[in-house]
Amino acid sequence: MLDAIDKELLKKVAELEGIPKGAYNIRKNGKLLNREVSANINIETNPQGNGIIITIKPGTKNESVHIPVIVSQAGLNDVVYNNFIVGEDSDVTIVAGCGIHCGSSEKQGHEGIHEFRVGKNAKMKYVEKHVAIGSGKGKRSLNPTTKVFLEQDAYAEMELSQIGGVDSANRLNEAELGPGSSMLITERVMTDGNQIATSRNQITLKGDNCKANMISRSVIKGDSIQNFYATLDAQAKCFGHIECDAIIMDNGRNETIPALKAGHPDAELTHEASIGKIANDQLMKLMSLGLTYDEAVNRIIQGFLK
Amino acid sequence: MLELKNLTFTAQNTDANGRSSLRTIIDNVSYTFEKGKFYAITGPNGSGKTTLAKLIMGINEATSGSVIFEGKEITGYSITDRARAGIAYSFQNPARFKGTTCRDLLAMAAKTEDEKVIVDIITRVGICSLDFLDKPVDARLSGGEIKKIELATTIALNPRVAIYDEPDTGIDLWTIDPMVKLLKKEQKNHNTTTIVVSHNRAFLEAADVLLLIKDGKIIYRGNLKGALPLLNDFSLCSFTNVCEGEVNARCYR
Repeated sequence: MLDAIDKELLKKVAELEGIPKGAYNIRKNGKLLNREVSANINIETNPQGNGIIITIKPGTKNESVHIPVIVSQAGLNDVVYNNFIVGEDSDVTIVAGCGIHCGSSEKQGHEGIHEFRVGKNAKMKYVEKHVAIGSGKGKRSLNPTTKVFLEQDAYAEMELSQIGGVDSANRLNEAELGPGSSMLITERVMTDGNQIATSRNQITLKGDNCKANMISRSVIKGDSIQNFYATLDAQAKCFGHIECDAIIMDNGRNETIPALKAGHPDAELTHEASIGKIANDQLMKLMSLGLTYDEAVNRIIQGFLK
Repeated sequence: MLELKNLTFTAQNTDANGRSSLRTIIDNVSYTFEKGKFYAITGPNGSGKTTLAKLIMGINEATSGSVIFEGKEITGYSITDRARAGIAYSFQNPARFKGTTCRDLLAMAAKTEDEKVIVDIITRVGICSLDFLDKPVDARLSGGEIKKIELATTIALNPRVAIYDEPDTGIDLWTIDPMVKLLKKEQKNHNTTTIVVSHNRAFLEAADVLLLIKDGKIIYRGNLKGALPLLNDFSLCSFTNVCEGEVNARCYR
């Protein structure tokens, strides 16, 4: 059964009003709460019993699978290993995410280690949201890892976001791109207070004519700290781009280091990075439309993280 | 309806040796803009045209003097307050945003997300494509595209006073005439007091009143014909080496 807190967390991380349609797996406090499989999407517990294996049949089109995680038990650090096998020629959306509700002074956390194998010519959209709520003073940590392997002509779009309340986050994204495959990663993180978030990204462009685009948007409020590291390692004729922008508000601090490595003479790699406060001309424009200073700041941040 | 009284704006100027001094950009300007008229403000580069426009919008804060709008003293008003009072400003170099779309800006300006209203506004500025609405207003938009969006947000506000700072910057030659017609039409249909800062003859010809600014002062007010000798003088001045400002250097001034 889902209680009110579960429902609120599910809504925040997976935009679910209740139990989703189609295949899903809801994990609560380290245990399976509910699972449903579909004709084309199978979910089973892995042999080690510490995660799930999601298998999407080749040719599955326009289906989605939801695998949200809820952590509301004081003192729990939930670690889970999930494997996704996306069949050839399929086109699917995977909605993951973790919501922590902290009601005590004990630490709570979740570490989701997700490995994806996206088959030939398959398209996968992966949406992952992280949020922590609750009035407890316990430290809330979320340390996700994603490892993506793209086969020939596969496409992966990853939308990764941390929308608030997480005290400490250490993210690791790794990807290996096969020939003709492409990948778009968009990461959006907002921190406040004394929160710390670090994102490390290692994208290896292995196959000829593969493409990777990594976009990072950070908003750093209060005394929080965000660090972003991304490396594009080109080992073939390929194209790669990193775009990382950070908006600093209050006393936030940021370190952004995009790195490009060309191990092939036909590699084309670019990056753009910026760190700074909200530009004055943006504020003036929105104020000239009748917004107050605070409303203008909110709208600019909303757009930036959209 | 919009009155400037002894408006002065001075700015700190630092020379190459780090010495600072005060420079007067707008020098004791008094003028009253009448309701529903089309004004063009022109003058040489650095004469204070944009600064004057920004003082009206509250983007620059007046050092002294006052701005009175529809009988109300608004000198102390913020940009927001002036916008809410009915003054709109179209920037020469519009801001670019990451993530914020044309639709977002237009919805903020028009105070509605109604697609019909938004489409009507972009059609008026000559944008036909609906796809355009969901493009972010970022560095990928061309100079002309972003200027059209800037114009559209000003029109969407349905202001009582619309200030356009060099609206033709980045606009192709073929679009300038339709743009002049659009601003005239907005002026006529909504009785908008329109103030255009421009060097472009098309806007100067369209204006009911032309204000010529030099060294922070309005040196001419009237029609274009009367201003032509002065304007020609600005563009062809061969006395720059001997010119001492107010002192006669045997030029036409």
